[in-house]
Amino acid sequence: MRSIDSDLRGLEDKREVFVTNDQPFESPAKEFVPGTFYVNIEEVMPELAESKDEQDTSGELKLPVDRRDFMRLFSAGAVMASAAACVRRPVEKAVPYVEQPKDFIPGIANYYATTIDRLGVVVKTREGRPVFVEGNPEHPLSQGSVSLVALSELQALYHPDRRQAPQVNYGTNRVGEATWDEVYDRLATKVKGAKKVAILAKGTTGHGVTFYKDFLKAIGQSEENLYLYDSNSLYNAVSEAHRLAFGVDGLPRADLRRSKLLVGLGSEFLDVSGVSQVFDTKSWSVGHAFRAGNKGRFVQFESRLTTTGSKADERHVIGVGDEFAVGLAFVRALAKLSEAKGSAAEKANISAVVEANKSLIEETTSRLKLDEALFDKLASEAVAKKAVILAGESGASTKNATLVQVVAIMANVLTGAYAERLLFFDQGWFKNPTRPGDLARFLKDAPEIDLLFVINTNPAYTLPQSSGIAKALSNKVVVSMQAMPNETEDYAEFKLNTHNPLEAWGDEELVAGFWSIQQPTVRPAFNSRQAEDILLWVAAKLNKPMGVEDYRSYLREKWRAIYKDSGINKDFEVFFKAIQRKGFFVTQLAKREMPSFGHVADKLKFEPTASGLKLVAHFHSKLYDGYGADRPVLQEAGDSLTTVVWDTWVAMHPKKARELGLKYNDLVVVKGPAGSFEAAVYPMPGLHPDTVAVPRGGGKKVGLSRVSDGVGVDALQVLNAEFDSHTGDPVTAGQLVEITKTGKRYRLAAMQKHNDIANRRDIMQVVKLSKAVEKVRDEKDLDNVPDLYPSHAPKPGDLRSPDSYLFPDWKASDTYRWGLSIDLDRCNGCGTCVVACDLENNVPQIGREQVSVGREMHWLRIDRYFSGSVDNPEVSYQPVGCQHCNHAPCEAVCPVFATTHDAEGMNSQTYNRCVGTRYCANACPYKVRRFNWFTHKWHIMGDRPMDRNPRALNPDVTVRTRGIMEKCTFCVQRIRDAKHNAKQQNRLVFDGEIRTACQTVCPADAITFGNLLDPNSRVSRNRKDHRAYLLLGGNPEEGEYGLKTLPNVSYLAKVLHDGSDGVAAGDGHELGAGHQHP
Amino acid sequence: MATVSKSFSQLAKLVMLVTLLMSSGCGRGHKFWTNWWTPGDTVDNVGYHPEQPIDFPHNLHVKNRQIPCEYCHSAARRSASAGIPPLNTCIGCHKYVRTDKDAIKYLNAKWEAKEAVQWTKVHDLPDYVRFSHRPHVQKGIECSQCHGDVGEMTTVYQAKSLQMGWCIECHQANKAPISCATCHY
Repeated sequence: MRSIDSDLRGLEDKREVFVTNDQPFESPAKEFVPGTFYVNIEEVMPELAESKDEQDTSGELKLPVDRRDFMRLFSAGAVMASAAACVRRPVEKAVPYVEQPKDFIPGIANYYATTIDRLGVVVKTREGRPVFVEGNPEHPLSQGSVSLVALSELQALYHPDRRQAPQVNYGTNRVGEATWDEVYDRLATKVKGAKKVAILAKGTTGHGVTFYKDFLKAIGQSEENLYLYDSNSLYNAVSEAHRLAFGVDGLPRADLRRSKLLVGLGSEFLDVSGVSQVFDTKSWSVGHAFRAGNKGRFVQFESRLTTTGSKADERHVIGVGDEFAVGLAFVRALAKLSEAKGSAAEKANISAVVEANKSLIEETTSRLKLDEALFDKLASEAVAKKAVILAGESGASTKNATLVQVVAIMANVLTGAYAERLLFFDQGWFKNPTRPGDLARFLKDAPEIDLLFVINTNPAYTLPQSSGIAKALSNKVVVSMQAMPNETEDYAEFKLNTHNPLEAWGDEELVAGFWSIQQPTVRPAFNSRQAEDILLWVAAKLNKPMGVEDYRSYLREKWRAIYKDSGINKDFEVFFKAIQRKGFFVTQLAKREMPSFGHVADKLKFEPTASGLKLVAHFHSKLYDGYGADRPVLQEAGDSLTTVVWDTWVAMHPKKARELGLKYNDLVVVKGPAGSFEAAVYPMPGLHPDTVAVPRGGGKKVGLSRVSDGVGVDALQVLNAEFDSHTGDPVTAGQLVEITKTGKRYRLAAMQKHNDIANRRDIMQVVKLSKAVEKVRDEKDLDNVPDLYPSHAPKPGDLRSPDSYLFPDWKASDTYRWGLSIDLDRCNGCGTCVVACDLENNVPQIGREQVSVGREMHWLRIDRYFSGSVDNPEVSYQPVGCQHCNHAPCEAVCPVFATTHDAEGMNSQTYNRCVGTRYCANACPYKVRRFNWFTHKWHIMGDRPMDRNPRALNPDVTVRTRGIMEKCTFCVQRIRDAKHNAKQQNRLVFDGEIRTACQTVCPADAITFGNLLDPNSRVSRNRKDHRAYLLLGGNPEEGEYGLKTLPNVSYLAKVLHDGSDGVAAGDGHELGAGHQHP
Repeated sequence: MATVSKSFSQLAKLVMLVTLLMSSGCGRGHKFWTNWWTPGDTVDNVGYHPEQPIDFPHNLHVKNRQIPCEYCHSAARRSASAGIPPLNTCIGCHKYVRTDKDAIKYLNAKWEAKEAVQWTKVHDLPDYVRFSHRPHVQKGIECSQCHGDVGEMTTVYQAKSLQMGWCIECHQANKAPISCATCHY
């Protein structure tokens, strides 16, 4: 029985045959009509448009098979198809279990609660394989949402580049795979021969730390030989600042739900990292979004445009390194107020700091033209509203990162944020997963270490080369235990493959007294081991057993202690099962006295930065510090603000770029104190003119992963060895760089030019706060659209029947009409929804070349709009997926009825009927339809072979082939499932029962899905809201109804502060309420 | 004479070819015309009757022993998939019952070796069709309505066409949804 499919499949791999040119995709709009919003810098500064004269170095598409070859292959395939016709194809096997697990029903998902990326999540598994990661709705920190890192672990689990077996370097060029027994034996011998054994591990708050210490003790080493490291330096900066100020450390937990005013000092709490990004985003969205006439305010001072800063209501651009002085100016204004909180002693201590830095404040504020009145106004508002002040970036820290945190603490003391328990520091504070000074201690101790275990962390890449990390990892036996191969393994004699977080045991004490458990959700996919188990084996081989058989038993013993302390009146087994089921456990939240702010003035030594262009090597909003670089779904999700995929860019202020004679996509050399790199310029509005912002996560070593090979450059290599004197963490922002033109250009694959629906009205709507408050009780009826297509209506004597309308009445269901609502006031463009959609719906990733010709496959995209001046723009985000129009232009043009209207209001796409005319994509005014130019086989990922494992696919969604149009389905598989459930229980689907993939993960709760025929469902209330509007739906209030496509997706307009609450206005850009683009 | 003989031999050849084609096939109940083409019809696989590792006699279990379908296909009521019974379901009885038969010896050998039996799927819908047993079984539709009278079959073959028109007929008759996205997504 030969399979004909396999022959055809082989043919489809030659996918490039359809690439006919290497022209990039340009937006089809012919002439640009200037409006309030702009998406590309050349719309407002045409002189920055990409130059056409210079040599393009972005590479040419290569065609391995020409068209004639393709035809020949294809006809051969046809002959084989007829010869083998007598076999039913494909013949499929049905292989049942030998012994079916008791809690398992084929076709029904099982869910396991676990902890990934310091978030409580629920992993959906089908037939024993994880297919989706959702937030644990009961977990108080994730609150049902999930981070990009945790979500994309699915792709890391079955990653083709995971090491299949441990590898040992036997010396003299002999590197080979070994069995685990050999590894343990050899490792034990090495440990025996080593005088000083140390562990450098990824920071954790759980029992991992205790375990590493126990291991070191067991093998006769000092506990001091444990070093914790995390590239997120915010943990250490905040923790160390609190130790300086209060004498005790910890990370305060902000309750932003109640915060009416938030002041950020270069804060990036909404971005991919932060102290607890999902928790902060969740609570901030509640406090900040427009709700029942209330809206919080967010004032940000920052040097580069962060995703967080883009959501600020009032944003001030400051230079890199000015955060300390600007923060002090704010503190000075606060201290002047009599109603400021804090004891007299605290105030005296704070004033001492202000006095000591008086000249610095004056110098900085006058340079930045921030006058005292601004701070006075902000200070009185802050005291009145008990503002919370958050400071600091995680990935990009200046020399004074800890000092900036101290300033934030002073401000928080004065506004009463600690006293009013908007910041929890005396109870329920976050635990610091790392320890300040550990990195410095490691770099200092490194020469004495004979054998070093590096566990699930990648210092060789995430630290600048100049920090001496290469030297620290050399001249010793390095045992690298990593879930994915990384740069640190280069130094390792033992390259041991450990479990993915989805396969491993562990736990975290995220908040003091609050425990989350991590448990395996799948059997190990490869021959890997849990890092802790390897250590246990080594101890056993040394005849120094630790008394437990594996790490799971170790954790159980630790949990038995927690169980005993909590005095639970049940058997331990019952308790432990319950914990595994629930995922977390609160013992007793630790309490302590709220300490008072001490005398720190003489401990704060501000180190000024020189003037000039300063590099900020910040975390990539998707790839983090490079941890996500081997996951195609993150690479292709694109940065929130630049929308660039698969690359590293150099963001500069547009006017600075013009001054240096640079244009968009010009290739430049960025020369720093320790080296240089080349990357393309991206003129980014909202930066300080002296800021050069380059994301991290690019330039990974070639050969580690076929996904990250050749993607971008590593910005850290140009940095000099500088460290924060308080925490010892490397300085990644504020070092001087020079920018030189190369005369070449390099085309960044930016998605913002694609699917351009600009030049049309009513896309992005904003409403001023005063108007929103005034109309808060108004209701709208968006479905009341008169005179649909009047020219089509039969006139007297017209022989056409009403059936000949372009959109005949469809047979509508009287129980369900599905609808989606997106609150643009809440959306912060983080892109978690895009990634979730990709993973849920088996959306392929196609690689940089294909994206640059406009063929990205995202069913949901996030459009980013700038408005106002390029110096400090207002940024708006808008997720756009299929609008599921009731009068859908795509349905009218499909010649084969592949796209039709569903009785429940959905616009459905029938893949097996589609012949790929692409008429629908041309007709769609929203540009949300995606065409499969190729069969994105699961072993091809864009331009690189990927061997994606089909086990990682969602079995509930059809995998599409070449020539098929596809688009958002409203997660119809979830609708079907819920409807079948409801039917079984003889009821209707209740509101909130169906949650689309994008909705489940949204940390800002911006997306609502439900039944529009139920007048009380959340989605129909949102559709009736006074802020609701339809995309390209005109302005119904003025009797203008736009395209009259009647989408089932509605948007809630973004609300802008206009000073109506007696507070200072925003930046004063003129933004009309209601419709835009005059 | 010569001309008659030539046309006769052509006719004879044609008859032989047609007979050969009509009688040839790939297996039991799997004839050329049902499998490849029939004028006015498309491939519907009715009569598809593949070889299985052992000849599982459905008639013996269903008709003679009166074992209900859902005893073995227990997921049908709750899941999209009806579920092929795991080996432990078979072994539950056949550890003791009829252990002298070859087929049972085969099952027990597989059980000892902890190996799964690899059945060939008979009712196999294309990958772009999403069929869920759950609502159909819940509705009270007899298994035999789509699977034929399995109680009369020894090894199972495909009795009904399972083509879209065949589904739609029943859906229309029972006022079940017939929009594309009911099954295609």
